[in-house]
Amino acid sequence: MRRTDPGATLGRWFDAATRRATAGLAERTSRRGFIGRVGAVLAGSGALPLLPVARAFGAEEADATGAEEVDGDEVEHLSEFGDPKSCDYWRYCALGGTLCACCGGGPSKCPPGAQPSPVTWIGTCRNPVDGKQYLISYNDCCGKAVCPRCFCHRTEGAKPVYFPSKSSNVLWCFGVDSNAYHCTLATVIGEAPDEAPAPKAEESPTHE
Amino acid sequence: MRHTRSRCGVTLLACLLAAAASGAGVAPETVSTTQLGPAAPTWFVVKAGLGAGYVFDAADGEMIGTLSLTPWTPTVRRHAGRGEIYAAETHYSRRHDGERTDVLRIYAHETLSPVGEIAIPNKIAALHRHYLGVLSGGRFVTVFNMTPAQSVSVVDVENRRFVGEISTAGCAVTLPTGDRGFLMMCGDGTLQWIGLDEDGTESARVRSAPFFSVEDDPLFDDPTPTPAGWQFLSFAGVTMEAVVENGEIVIGKSWSILGKDDEGWRPGGGQPATFHAGNDLLVVLMHQGGVDTQDQDGTEAWVLDRSTQRRIGRITFEAPASALLVVEDNEPALLAAIGGSVHVFDLATGVRQRVVQTNQGGSLLRY
Repeated sequence: MRRTDPGATLGRWFDAATRRATAGLAERTSRRGFIGRVGAVLAGSGALPLLPVARAFGAEEADATGAEEVDGDEVEHLSEFGDPKSCDYWRYCALGGTLCACCGGGPSKCPPGAQPSPVTWIGTCRNPVDGKQYLISYNDCCGKAVCPRCFCHRTEGAKPVYFPSKSSNVLWCFGVDSNAYHCTLATVIGEAPDEAPAPKAEESPTHE
Repeated sequence: MRHTRSRCGVTLLACLLAAAASGAGVAPETVSTTQLGPAAPTWFVVKAGLGAGYVFDAADGEMIGTLSLTPWTPTVRRHAGRGEIYAAETHYSRRHDGERTDVLRIYAHETLSPVGEIAIPNKIAALHRHYLGVLSGGRFVTVFNMTPAQSVSVVDVENRRFVGEISTAGCAVTLPTGDRGFLMMCGDGTLQWIGLDEDGTESARVRSAPFFSVEDDPLFDDPTPTPAGWQFLSFAGVTMEAVVENGEIVIGKSWSILGKDDEGWRPGGGQPATFHAGNDLLVVLMHQGGVDTQDQDGTEAWVLDRSTQRRIGRITFEAPASALLVVEDNEPALLAAIGGSVHVFDLATGVRQRVVQTNQGGSLLRY
């Protein structure tokens, strides 16, 4: 199920546009998402940062083998509710950027000619239909001028840039022909694993 | 101060027209270009994340000029003594595609125009105001890279040469501190300090003990510089200073900016804190909200005395602000970015002095 409410979407866009003037994306430098080396990634975030990369490359392999292709905006066995052109859409809970769904693409499809970055940051969002938590991969689409529509900035579970796997504080156009930022996708990559046990005190210090 | 320089001789037609008009009883005007005199401490830059840098003077609200930066330039830093401004820039041969070339570009203060560049690895990270730093001594500039592997490029701006790249896995931003060194914030709740030798190569690397929890209460990745080091602030309002002494990182005792009646208030915004060195004041952008509202714009600025760890003032904005910056003159002014304008307040009284129409949001940088 998807609900379309163009008036509300336009209203949000107008609010955002007037509040931020022309800067929109400019002042939001968040992209949370990856640490340079596997060891460093594991130190902070478990294996989450590796998932989107594996997912993207897995899709390529499926194409190469002629496996059945699932449409980029239709997730198998997932019932949804909401408007992908709205910042309120459930998948966007930790998205920072402009919505590709407003720019000629969809929540999992880049607009024409734009190239999806295979490296991303991750959010964990609750699907209102089934109440489950899902891992969402926020892939930037790259190689075109920035899309000026539907700027969205939500920070549920987001972390600063030194914890990049959950950070939108950097442009995530990596591993693509051009790093020019265009817009951002929100792709469901699976159900979120159960919460990890709380770290031991010495591993998770509080402020002294 | 701004000076003008005549360029009548450049265009023959203009000179001929001027000569023809000279008999009409009106002194002919000549076309010229402004050249900047010495900068005032009240100058500041509005740096749009995907745009240029615009220079203004908070003292009178006038625009000074423009730095034509690339959309992917994270920030700029000025070296006052050399009259140079540094910007890490990514260029493409065909605007948004084609061959990529990353450079540290050098702009002249007088013209705000580029006068040189140094090629650096095509790894510049965008967009954050602490992705660039001028280290003590002013010879070396550091640029934060992400590919997404994290590293730092070191540039010798005095001799106009790229020195080398330092791997900094797990750590981000570059915060100049100590002798030819810089701090980084790391994903395991620590700080890392890297010191350079006289040639700009890494000579020291130390790591603090973990002192904050990324999971429970992360520190903003936008700390504010103090005379001795950097003041850090957590999402929940806990703050502490970190300094580097004798090659070691020293973390000061943390304290909360919230009093017993401040429940429900949190720091936030794109640029949540600034510092006034003259009176040792930390100024924080505050809003009412819960967990995960760390990027929410602030409705108030809280002025906190570091020496007593108490709030000594509150400034309420007419609309939420996304960034704060103190510019230090005889009378310190607090700048607040509100939509497409910058509101200028007397920091001591909280009285608004003027509104500068920048028509551009973004981060606020000291010029």
